[in-house]
Amino acid sequence: MAGWLFASPILLGFLIFFVGPLIAVAIYSLEDWNLLTQQATFIGLSNYTNALTANPDFWLVIRNSLVFSAGLVPLNMALALVLALALSRKSFGSVFFRTLFFAPVVTSAVAWAIVWRFLLQGDGGVVNQMLALVGIHGPNWLRDPNWAMVVVIVTRVIKMVGLNMILYIAALQSISDEYAEAARLDGANGWQIFWQITWPLLAPTTLVILVITTIGSFKVFDHIYLMTNGGPENGTLVLAFYIYQQAFKFFATGYASALAMIMFVLVLVLTLIQLALRRKGAL
Amino acid sequence: MNTLTRTIAAATMLAGGLLASTAYATDLRVTVWVSAKEQLDMLNGFAAGFKKTHPDVNVTFESIPAANYTQKLTLEIAGGNTPDLGWIMEDSAPTFEQAGVLMDLAPTLKNTPDYDFADFSAPAMGLWQNNGKVYAIPFSTSPFLIYYNKTLFDQARVEDPEQLAAKGEWTMDKFREVAKAIKDATGVYGFEFKDGQGYESRVMHAIMPPIRAYGGDAWVNGQCGLDTDQAVAAMTVLHDMVFKDKSIVPPGDQSDFFAGAAAMTINQISRVPTLKTANFKWGLAPLPTGPAGAAPIIGQAAIAVFASGKNAQIAADFAAYMTNKQNVATMAKFFPPARKSVLADKAFLTSNPAISAAQMQYVADGIANGKVLPSNVKSPQILAAMAPKIDAFWKADADPKQAMQAVCSVVKPLL
Amino acid sequence: MTWSSARVRLAYRICWVLALAALAIPFVFPFLWMLSAAFKSINEIFGQPSLIPTTWHWENFVELFTYQPFAQQYFNSIYIALLVMVLTLVVSSLAGYAFARIRFAGAGLLMLFLLSALMVPDEVTIIPNFFLFKWLGLMDTHVPLILLPVFGPRGIMATFLMRQYFLALPKEIEEAGKVDGLTRFGIWWRIAVPVARPALAAVAIISFLDSWNLFLEPLVFISSINRFTLPLALNNFTDPYGLPLWNLQLAATSLAVIPVLGIYIVAQRQIIESFAMSGVKG
Repeated sequence: MAGWLFASPILLGFLIFFVGPLIAVAIYSLEDWNLLTQQATFIGLSNYTNALTANPDFWLVIRNSLVFSAGLVPLNMALALVLALALSRKSFGSVFFRTLFFAPVVTSAVAWAIVWRFLLQGDGGVVNQMLALVGIHGPNWLRDPNWAMVVVIVTRVIKMVGLNMILYIAALQSISDEYAEAARLDGANGWQIFWQITWPLLAPTTLVILVITTIGSFKVFDHIYLMTNGGPENGTLVLAFYIYQQAFKFFATGYASALAMIMFVLVLVLTLIQLALRRKGAL
Repeated sequence: MNTLTRTIAAATMLAGGLLASTAYATDLRVTVWVSAKEQLDMLNGFAAGFKKTHPDVNVTFESIPAANYTQKLTLEIAGGNTPDLGWIMEDSAPTFEQAGVLMDLAPTLKNTPDYDFADFSAPAMGLWQNNGKVYAIPFSTSPFLIYYNKTLFDQARVEDPEQLAAKGEWTMDKFREVAKAIKDATGVYGFEFKDGQGYESRVMHAIMPPIRAYGGDAWVNGQCGLDTDQAVAAMTVLHDMVFKDKSIVPPGDQSDFFAGAAAMTINQISRVPTLKTANFKWGLAPLPTGPAGAAPIIGQAAIAVFASGKNAQIAADFAAYMTNKQNVATMAKFFPPARKSVLADKAFLTSNPAISAAQMQYVADGIANGKVLPSNVKSPQILAAMAPKIDAFWKADADPKQAMQAVCSVVKPLL
Repeated sequence: MTWSSARVRLAYRICWVLALAALAIPFVFPFLWMLSAAFKSINEIFGQPSLIPTTWHWENFVELFTYQPFAQQYFNSIYIALLVMVLTLVVSSLAGYAFARIRFAGAGLLMLFLLSALMVPDEVTIIPNFFLFKWLGLMDTHVPLILLPVFGPRGIMATFLMRQYFLALPKEIEEAGKVDGLTRFGIWWRIAVPVARPALAAVAIISFLDSWNLFLEPLVFISSINRFTLPLALNNFTDPYGLPLWNLQLAATSLAVIPVLGIYIVAQRQIIESFAMSGVKG
């Protein structure tokens, strides 16, 4: 009983601001609705069949989204954990460094993109100049269909890893030192302490970070828009970008709603897989 | 009458008077994309001026950030919160017109005394008229101009575009020649596409000036014109300039004219204020002519009245007021006018201390003769479909003719 | 020559700090550039990305306030973000605790339902929410800007975070509370919340930051310029044709960074310090 009471605010909000709109979105997805002319015609599942069978762009977009997420999530989580492990104690300069690694999170997306587009220029970009020092001829990163996605992922990870780092630091704080001390007395080295004590104790946090980062990776839009505008050759056109285009550039609200429902199902399946793996102890 | 009766009578009259005035008071809402105090003050000045002849009309201006203007405006219309008037961006004009949400202003304009509709330059009205109906009135008509870095030209001992234009020699061939000369002499790029976005969000701005100079166009009568011989010829020149001459800022490169890292660029007069802090001498010139002659290009914005508003007629009167001769002259400070009388006025030619009268004449000529960029109801979809094919064009080993045919292959189905 | 172990540790430490510093460069350089660009002229911004402006244009900052009611907009963002932060902390820790600790029917499935709110992009749910708030007569107010983050996807993410954190805590501390006769609410308020300080601090940072950066919601719901929040106001610094005035936008962004960094510094101290003060031992 108390449980329901405690959870009631969020549940109420969930119903009003999410479930309601989601039902609305589901209804829009069955219509051909131009937001400007406000003419809506019921077309059943045509939006879905259109996307899945008649539109080659759609599968390109799905592929790009999956590649983007598959690249971003492991990189982000691994880097966040490494940084958290390095900086979670009150040692010399740790506050300073924690703030440094958090700085990108508070840097505006626009400033971030302007600077990185400069650094990543083909000739004369700083990154390529540094690579030239070790004899590597760097490509025109953002205009190269093979490298643009990599660069977009890496710059996004650098920008957002500070948040996950904080979450891991918070979790590490609650792991009592005594476990590690006892293990050290037993002769365990750092690696063993980490894998057998710290990592399992971090499991609940790891799960939430995994789920949130995965879901978040499917919603990234402004970063890609500012870095590559979805190019080159639609190589970084991800689902969130595609939905934005449909909804706010082409005003095809019905189609965009269908795409959003598809994204919902896709992300839900991924999340269920992650939760199931956790239950089986694989995470 | 005793005091009580008198008080009641007075109160009733007062209430009646108030009621009468509130019953007639009209509020007009205008959506705009400026929010700087300077410009809002000017607009509010128009509201005050209109109040003199329409004392019970209150006009308020609602600022929407330019980058999301069309989206927000569409959402307001869809949400039943349609403003009475709104600025319309050039690229959404066909969409709004076809959606039937704009009121035909022709009758109002004809009936407004001293309006002089014929004073508007005919090409400037092209986008906003259809079958005798006037859907919006352009308040800003801004030609594309060549900005050039005089310091770099002098340094490379090359004749600058203004000198060449004065001699009638400012052609596409000469354009290519001087760009290469500057690159070879100074190492600085000869030319940068508009706003540095020629490969991304300003593709049309980049390719249309040369294509039109060569006699082509993006689409004509439902046919894609981007793979015609004229268009391919123009695109080949650009391609060679980027990859062979290396005189145009290439894809991915962030060199910027306004920072002094390119000798020329195309832009509109609005960028002149940013050159106040430039550390080089600069000038303006018309666009280079091509085999098909001169092809000036204009960018526009207009004001429209929404047909579904309760006060559509008063709103139309206000639109006419805002675009009459006097107010257009006031707006000329920020927005180049489409009225020939204002353009011919000496005050216009000398209105900006940073721009010579001769250069302002280029602006006036551009307005009188310029065409807007290609427009289509499906512009956003067309541009999105073109984007990957244009990316493929801008590769060193691309064959211009084949690449442009690929572009047309995705554009044609949408026309 | 053998080095004493203290020397080795010192050398190791120095290498470690240097390595971290090198790693931090790509993180920090854009941030510093953003701050320096606030003082540059608009031309210099697109020149070489240097960290020191050639001339210091302090007037950029003055112009921010004469251009539009920037101070008012700044204040709007602050009070909205603070409200969202506080409300999110309360709502998410209550619900998170419930999901973690209280056995009530369907808790697990409910958590999954809630999570699904994260999976639909804002761009699409904003349209029905637009109609909802219009119907409620709350257009051009700050109410949707407060309710949507707290009860929407971000609030749910915070709830999930708190739940995971509470799950990881040993149950013994609450047993003590039950023995002492505290109600559920008492246990939550007096025992669970203080112990959850690290997670609460993290949620504080995230919810403040999310509200601070909200762009789509203010764009859709707010019309009056003096009710704008910072992200909207930032986009307003354009020339009459809509081209961004970068020097002003970056000056405004630099000012906008201050409160967020402030919250971050305070909150992360909470995260670290609470380690020393937590009574969860043994």
